[in-house]
Amino acid sequence: MTTVVRLENVRKEYGDTTALDGVSLSVSAGEAVAVMGPSGCGKSTMLNMIAGLDRPTSGSVRVHDEELGRLNETKLALFRRHRIGMIFQFFNLLDDLPALDNVALAAQLTGSRVGVARQRALELLDELGIADRRNVYPAALSGGERQRVAVARALMNRPALLLADEPTGALDSRAGEQVMDLLLDLNQIGQTLLIVTHDERLATRCASRVVELADGRVTHERTLERA
Amino acid sequence: MSSVWRAARAAVRRRRMQTFVIGLVVLLSTTTIVVALALLAATSAPFDKAFARQAGPHAVALFDPAASPPSQGPGVAAAAGPFGQVELESTDSVRFGPQGPLTVVGRADPGGPVDKLDLWQGRWPSAPGEIVLNEPVHDLDRMPPRSTSVTLGGHPFTIVGLAHSLVGSADAWVTPAQVAALRPTATQMLYRFTGDVSTEAAVEASLATATAGLPLTASQTYLVVKEQISADVGVYVPFLATFGVLGLVVGVVIVGNVVSGAVVSGYRHIGILKALGFTPRQVVAVYLMMVSVPAVVGCVLGSVAGSLAAQPLLSEGFEGLGLDVGIGVGPWIWLAGLVGVPATVVLAALVPAVRAHRLSAAEAISAGSAPRQGRGTRIQHRLAGVRLPRSVSLGLGLPFARPGRTAFTVAAVLLGVTTVTFATGLADTLVRISTIEDTAAGQIGVQPSNGLFRVAPDNAPPPAGPPATTTRTDEQVEELLRGLPDAARVTAIHRLPVSAVGQTEPLPVNFLRGDYSAMGYEAELTAGRWMAGPAETVVPTEVMRGRGLALGDRITLRLGGGQAVLTVVGETMDGPQGPPALFVDWSVLATMAPDRVVAPWDVYYQVQLVPGGDIARYVTAVTAADPAIDAWNNAQLSDFLVTVVSFSSVLSLLLSTVAALGVFNTVVLNVRERRRDLGTLKSIGMTPRQVVAMVLTSMALVGVVGGVLGIPVGMLAHRFVVPLAAESARVSLPLSVMDVWHAPTLALLGLAGVVIALLGALVPARGAARLTIASVLHNE
Repeated sequence: MTTVVRLENVRKEYGDTTALDGVSLSVSAGEAVAVMGPSGCGKSTMLNMIAGLDRPTSGSVRVHDEELGRLNETKLALFRRHRIGMIFQFFNLLDDLPALDNVALAAQLTGSRVGVARQRALELLDELGIADRRNVYPAALSGGERQRVAVARALMNRPALLLADEPTGALDSRAGEQVMDLLLDLNQIGQTLLIVTHDERLATRCASRVVELADGRVTHERTLERA
Repeated sequence: MSSVWRAARAAVRRRRMQTFVIGLVVLLSTTTIVVALALLAATSAPFDKAFARQAGPHAVALFDPAASPPSQGPGVAAAAGPFGQVELESTDSVRFGPQGPLTVVGRADPGGPVDKLDLWQGRWPSAPGEIVLNEPVHDLDRMPPRSTSVTLGGHPFTIVGLAHSLVGSADAWVTPAQVAALRPTATQMLYRFTGDVSTEAAVEASLATATAGLPLTASQTYLVVKEQISADVGVYVPFLATFGVLGLVVGVVIVGNVVSGAVVSGYRHIGILKALGFTPRQVVAVYLMMVSVPAVVGCVLGSVAGSLAAQPLLSEGFEGLGLDVGIGVGPWIWLAGLVGVPATVVLAALVPAVRAHRLSAAEAISAGSAPRQGRGTRIQHRLAGVRLPRSVSLGLGLPFARPGRTAFTVAAVLLGVTTVTFATGLADTLVRISTIEDTAAGQIGVQPSNGLFRVAPDNAPPPAGPPATTTRTDEQVEELLRGLPDAARVTAIHRLPVSAVGQTEPLPVNFLRGDYSAMGYEAELTAGRWMAGPAETVVPTEVMRGRGLALGDRITLRLGGGQAVLTVVGETMDGPQGPPALFVDWSVLATMAPDRVVAPWDVYYQVQLVPGGDIARYVTAVTAADPAIDAWNNAQLSDFLVTVVSFSSVLSLLLSTVAALGVFNTVVLNVRERRRDLGTLKSIGMTPRQVVAMVLTSMALVGVVGGVLGIPVGMLAHRFVVPLAAESARVSLPLSVMDVWHAPTLALLGLAGVVIALLGALVPARGAARLTIASVLHNE
């Protein structure tokens, strides 16, 4: 099976603090991996390395055979644009744009024409069940709706890898359930997932493998049998 | 209070960039404001100020030398004298030096209750044979080397100093003993009066009352000098005042924008302080202190910089007019810089701080988190559908998120563009005027010598050696000039006052011979047409107005028993060098006074060369052909042009920089408020170049709007101010010199706003592109 993510002995230091201490990990295409651990263990730092949002102090981060450490800022941006979809705990939607334009934005940055981008965005919103909310601004959407818009935006450019940082952390249980279902569905149609979470239920429901981190190191890995 | 101070200090440390920006903006704005106020102060009654500083005499009265007029009298506030006075002829051979006859007065010292002389160079005479000359303050380093002695009335004097009397109570001063030895021809008294001195009649009435019964032989009121100087200074006043007002407004707008923006962007912090237990009053105090620290540093440095910058500008504008003494950055301007600017800062901070004072902690945190939804969202939505690169369409929508801040920024750019437009138009007009005058004046000036005087043109050392008298006649000189290589056109000009029927004083006339119609004077026409024959004349505006002439008038000139009737067919801005005079064909002189012989040294010749002709070679050739003929290169930029273009360039640069700083501050604030959005955009693949493009586009739009609005305002200022200055100089301008707005110029000016905006936005835009996404999104 193709390896989508390969971390080798990745170390990340912020001054005197070591966030990641020799982490190695690989994620295969179609896998759904949950990264768990207590606050400050380095989960989000690891996610940032994989997304090309931050650079390791040492070690190698390869995603789709791209050595991210060798890419300049522009190439990293292009890498994120085409290879990665990101979902954040607090959604990070642009307040100035309605749902449809938030989603279409990801494609428009690649140079897609407005009509094409909006059509694709509408299809995604429809698939996620919120097409009727396309012209609503984020401030007027519920938490679950906002996260679905964020998921739609993440999927806009058909990324090979979907990264989710505490995707249910800011949602009530019902909305959280909906997002879990959504992620599960995506993985079942072949989307590679890497989820950082505190939520054991999310991990067991959506992931096929759980990686546990503590003090910047991988302490345990387990494979899950999904229902 | 200590907690407030600690919180303010922490805020200043944490926001180093913002603190730096506030300090820099306040510094440059204070510099601009101080320069602007100094200009405005200087243009406000400059003569009266200098006159008051010197305690200038309202009247200079001359009595019989034997008289001893009292220094007290009815209506006399103060008096100086009696001083012995004598007229002495200068017999020095250099033309541009003291010219005779000179009024020499014996004074023991330069001070006294009236006419306190400004002894600006050297010392006061203390012994016979020493003399101080009356000259306005000027830069001696920029003058040609001059003699340290002068011969007056056959008596040699050592020049020991230079002093200035605004009203020109004398041309030179010596010791009282020296003037007694020279046998004075009059006794001088200088009076200041207590009553009305606003009109010639009022001053003369006061003088008559004060000197009743005394042998008064002559007098002159200060109003004669005031009128002359006011006309000279008046040329500068509209320019200086315009730049002054622009500078003042730009300074206040930018300071208001930057400071209020700093407080608004700190609402979240204000909310947190409140949540920590700070009282609303303490919170306001923290913010006022936070902006006051860099503002105070900025305004102190700015006041010093402004006063340093203003001095050369003012000296340049007023040098030579005798008004530079007493003009400068006065105490009230320092007060405005050191107190007024901080007060503006506090006021600008107070308005949003008081608003924050009223908000609850939660409201403040929420208000400061991001632009509220609804602001500009409709525009962003529409722009999302426009066929433009998405980074560009996003940038176009950004200014609408903070309409108030954007309006201030547009105002700053608008004022910057207005200044640049006005300065550009002004420079273009002055260059056109200078070009027209230079062309008409000829490239080369020629003056034969009479054996007494030699011509030392500006900035050149006096011709060496004893002067010789030319042996050529007027016609032979002209023939010589025409025969030298490269000569294309030669004009001979003989200036003469000529009696005219209906005029109480003779009319100044320039009799012209040769190629004068082709020299370029026609381009100076402001009304009517050029002369078509000897029976017609063209008259400069100043003479037109001074003598009550109009187009179509017929003038009867009388000279040497003959007369000629001329029709006024045109009005010109100016004429050949020297005081303005009628253009009259030389044949009219020959008709009126056929027996009159004109000496060559009474004729001034102008020469234009063929295209590409070598001026220096021609000048050398003239002197080589006849050493008793002085020739010089006329093509030099006028001091006025250099002065006005220099200070308008400096002020444009200063104001544009301040405007760009306003943009810089706006972008810094926008970027900080939109850190989360920027992080999000980068996380979904916006490249650094796209981030820069987005931020620059947002300010380019501001630049375009500021430019579109600023250009017409600058054009209006040009249209209004330049004729005002011309009016002060008593000239009218040809339409061609005002016709400076053409498509290429306007296109370049249109870019000025964009350039100001982009220069201001570039650094923070690149900073935005370098934002670390992980830290931005993690902080949120």
